[in-house]
Amino acid sequence: MTDIMKINVGPQHPSTHGVLRLITELDGEKIISIKPEIGYLHRGLEKLAESKTYLQYLPLVDRVDYLGGFFTSYAFCNAVEHLLNIQTTKRTEYIRTLCMELNRIASHLLWLGTYMLDLGASSPIFYTFRERESILALFEELTGQRMMYNYFTFGGVRFDVDNNWLDKVNDFLNILPKAIGNYEKIITNNAIFIDRTKNKGILTKSFCSKYAITGPNMRASGLEIDFRQKMPYSAYNELGFVVSVNNLSDSYGRYLVRIQEMRTSIDLIKQCIMFLKQNKDNVSCNINPIKLKIPQGEYTSYVESSRGLLCCYIQSDGSEKPYRVKWRTGSFYAVQVLPELVIGQNYNDLIAIFGSLDVILPEVDR
Amino acid sequence: MLLKKLLNKIYYLILGHFTVFKHSFKRAVTVEYPEKKVKLPERFRGKHVWNSNECVGCKICEKVCPVNAIHINKVEDNFEMQIELSKCIFCGNCQYSCLKHAIKMSNDFELAVLNKNDLNLNITSNEKKIEAKND
Repeated sequence: MTDIMKINVGPQHPSTHGVLRLITELDGEKIISIKPEIGYLHRGLEKLAESKTYLQYLPLVDRVDYLGGFFTSYAFCNAVEHLLNIQTTKRTEYIRTLCMELNRIASHLLWLGTYMLDLGASSPIFYTFRERESILALFEELTGQRMMYNYFTFGGVRFDVDNNWLDKVNDFLNILPKAIGNYEKIITNNAIFIDRTKNKGILTKSFCSKYAITGPNMRASGLEIDFRQKMPYSAYNELGFVVSVNNLSDSYGRYLVRIQEMRTSIDLIKQCIMFLKQNKDNVSCNINPIKLKIPQGEYTSYVESSRGLLCCYIQSDGSEKPYRVKWRTGSFYAVQVLPELVIGQNYNDLIAIFGSLDVILPEVDR
Repeated sequence: MLLKKLLNKIYYLILGHFTVFKHSFKRAVTVEYPEKKVKLPERFRGKHVWNSNECVGCKICEKVCPVNAIHINKVEDNFEMQIELSKCIFCGNCQYSCLKHAIKMSNDFELAVLNKNDLNLNITSNEKKIEAKND
């Protein structure tokens, strides 16, 4: 028995994907206790909503999860639409679905690159960023910005998509499966990668239910729950897809689920493009967002984001500003389960396990 | 069995290295920035361009701005627009809400200045099509 050493991992640590502080106690190389400290990236986005009108808050919503701006945007717009009791057109919903699925691919690509960097492999990040760059260029052309889109509005989207843009998306989707194949050639059967991820960070089904883990982390534990299929929102009830799931429960399983999800997203986007090329319709509603007053009531919308279930709760008191806004994000719960996964493990596995959970801190702290 | 496993590991390591090696012969995807620039899309949201002749002073842009960066004041017979680019988050709410399309966001994204006050633009001219430039 050696002396117990207490060290701080973070908040300024490149592998904590933001500013997470892990107060770790080590016995030699073995982790005996770990306590995540969050709040370093707290921007008060929930309280901020109470002092802004719905339209003023709309651009800030993208900042809840900066790698999945479309998901948060959709959750907020959907909640407002339900409170206003307005129906969006089918074309709007297909455009939103397309954007969200492209966003999911971009988010998973960034995760893949940075996760491999955490494990010491420096090549994949260049390849994943190359493909992600193509997606961001498409978003920039459609919305005007690369990450903070402000594209979805109440009852519609800001601009309609044209066939030219859809063709560009299609061209990109044709090269993406080959690119994913290339990542798999480098990573999936790599002996070092397997050694560092197989049977590491076992997230059992009971942990998932105890800590409310959702998203790819949960599906890698054998629970086949995908809110796109279980409780379809947007255009998902008209799209066919297979939920990616496996029973490995470890970091390797979580990697496989995300790779599979990217392939699923490609299929979904192709179905959306087919619909959008055939159907022409309006993409905006006849409401004036500037003088928007929402009737008294409350609603919780939900989205299956790239990091799990994302909920947006809005309570309105009938005025121009929301009375209360609450976000439920997947990463917050993934951070809480970390001690269960790493206690008893070697210190060098800490980042390898933490990285596999795909936590980003703006989503945790909001 | 052990040898087979070892050979399998070596095969996949070589395959990985070969996949990486193949990239050496591909064209570069990056651009050497200050010399070469990528073409920005039409909808890009950069520095604001304001047309005072179109502006009717309804102050909608003031109301929708999430960070209160825009101020429209009346100066004699004309309007004056003050915009604090250091506050602006380039969300485009002002551009999308303007009923007269008087405010637009240009492709100018190079906003670095030596003095922070230079980012507070004060535009008061009644000439046609005034560009918001801070020089």
